[in-house]
Amino acid sequence: MEITLALLKPHAVRNVYAFQQIQQILQKNFKILHTKEVHITKEISEHFYAEHKGKFFYNRLVTFMGSGPCYAFVLQSKNCIAKWRELMGPTKVYKAVYSHPDCIRALYGLSDTRNACHGSDSEESAVREISIIFPELNKNQLTAAES
Amino acid sequence: MLINTRKVCLLLSRQYTTKAKRSLLMQDKSKILTYTPKVSDPKKRRVYAWGFQETGALGLQTNIKKSKERYTEMVHHPTRMQFSVNTDISDIAAGYGFSAFAVERSDGQTLFGSGLNTDSQLGFQVKGTFKDPKKLDVLIYPTPINLPRLEHETDADMKIRCMSAGRAHLVVVTQNGTIFSMGNNSYGQCGRAIIENEDYRGSALIHRIYEKEICGGNDDIVSVVCGQDHTMFLTRLGSVYTCGWGADGQTGKGNYETNGVIAQAKGDINGEHIVKLACASDCVLAINEKGDVFGWGNSEYGQLDDSENAETQVSTPRALALTKGIGKIQDIAAGGSFCMALNEEGLVYTWGYGILGFGPYVEQTSKPQQLLPPLFGRNDFSDQTTVVSIGCGVFHMGAINSDGDLFMWGKNRFGHLGLGHKKDQFFPFKTAVNGKVIKVAFGVDHTLALCRPFM
Repeated sequence: MEITLALLKPHAVRNVYAFQQIQQILQKNFKILHTKEVHITKEISEHFYAEHKGKFFYNRLVTFMGSGPCYAFVLQSKNCIAKWRELMGPTKVYKAVYSHPDCIRALYGLSDTRNACHGSDSEESAVREISIIFPELNKNQLTAAES
Repeated sequence: MLINTRKVCLLLSRQYTTKAKRSLLMQDKSKILTYTPKVSDPKKRRVYAWGFQETGALGLQTNIKKSKERYTEMVHHPTRMQFSVNTDISDIAAGYGFSAFAVERSDGQTLFGSGLNTDSQLGFQVKGTFKDPKKLDVLIYPTPINLPRLEHETDADMKIRCMSAGRAHLVVVTQNGTIFSMGNNSYGQCGRAIIENEDYRGSALIHRIYEKEICGGNDDIVSVVCGQDHTMFLTRLGSVYTCGWGADGQTGKGNYETNGVIAQAKGDINGEHIVKLACASDCVLAINEKGDVFGWGNSEYGQLDDSENAETQVSTPRALALTKGIGKIQDIAAGGSFCMALNEEGLVYTWGYGILGFGPYVEQTSKPQQLLPPLFGRNDFSDQTTVVSIGCGVFHMGAINSDGDLFMWGKNRFGHLGLGHKKDQFFPFKTAVNGKVIKVAFGVDHTLALCRPFM
């Protein structure tokens, strides 16, 4: 079965109620394989967001992720990458609040950068991102979970 | 026989009236109750709160168990805070899931807070014994925030001059010109050096800065405005000093750096006498005494510049071209993806992206558009009514008119428009607040209004 990474960003982890609600959504929709609180340092986030390097929001994204502890989940379910991205909603919160008012980002996001959560966009990036956040899990385990 | 009865009747009735007259004359006038309408002390302030309740920011609950029984995650009617009945509140501030109140009390406490305290933005709050303290992440009722005092500092020195709250930090300036900042400092928004991996939860650290360290001895700080993750100080002589997150250029220091060094924002505002700053998220507006508008920070929705290929992040304050031609501006407000301006004649203009107040079909305008005065209470019976102040949160806007009425519109996140429902409001609508509104503090998902009684 497919796996993906869900990362709750610092401001959502800090809002006790938002954190509880998002956790409930995750438990209801996915099998949670691994979970941990992680402090994303500048090195990790530069590595993590390498694909966005050079874009105007890159510096903003990297500095934002380091502003507090994040919470990471490895999720498993059928078609879970698309499912988690649908639950999250569009990246831009200012637009999501009107177009998808019930998604996680519209409810608990604050701005286009402080958008509550992150999800992998493909199978390859899921494996890559999980191995960055959970270096203790080896790649064989992940691919085994996926098959 | 018939005639006789009529006579008797007449006689009876005559007797009756005379008796009634007599009893009235005999009545003890001192015992007649006179109605005196109850008049509140006009100096007394009351605070109404509405919006998202689960964070405790509304400060309406006194008992966790009871609040769970009467479970409502949101309060969509303006509700009077019991705390404001018992305490004289002079100022209010709203952050992301928390509120702060400047109070005047005989016991010397000057600052109270309610709501999320996960980053100690409401000071060091613990429960339980000294040896086994439990750190409180959520305060459901306003609780004193102890500002650390030097020996010679009196209660009057510690009175709050101005304050503002951000996403997870609170900055207050006291009467003697001391700045206290508390809460999250991961971007230096508290005006001190960033410490890697600092734990803000349960932290007792309140940072103290003297205003003369920021603006010298000849000037003083008259207002402080916090964005979500940065802080700006405005001085009497009209200079602006900033610190905190600068990734969108919101610190206006000409760079995109993030640090806790409080430095002057220059660019086009250098030498101008700035009289007001406004910022709810990452886009900043400022006006000078002549009524010109300046802006910096995030401009992804064309708030600061509507031209093609315009920069989306402005790190150097600039005079705005798009507000030229709408008159002398007396008030401003900047939300997440939109801006507002109020001109000398009391006309409200909005521009940017979102619910701007022009109905459900207008979601973006790049030029400031005027909202008509009848929307803000002007009609044939009160043709002098104008808007006197405006404000906005990240997702919603508001305006106060000269009658002290509050009008709100925008995204109705967790009922924070206070209209009694959860639906978005596409044009300004009067909020039923039981008092004349003086000041409104717009949080991210709650709103507070400081009012004086009608009579």
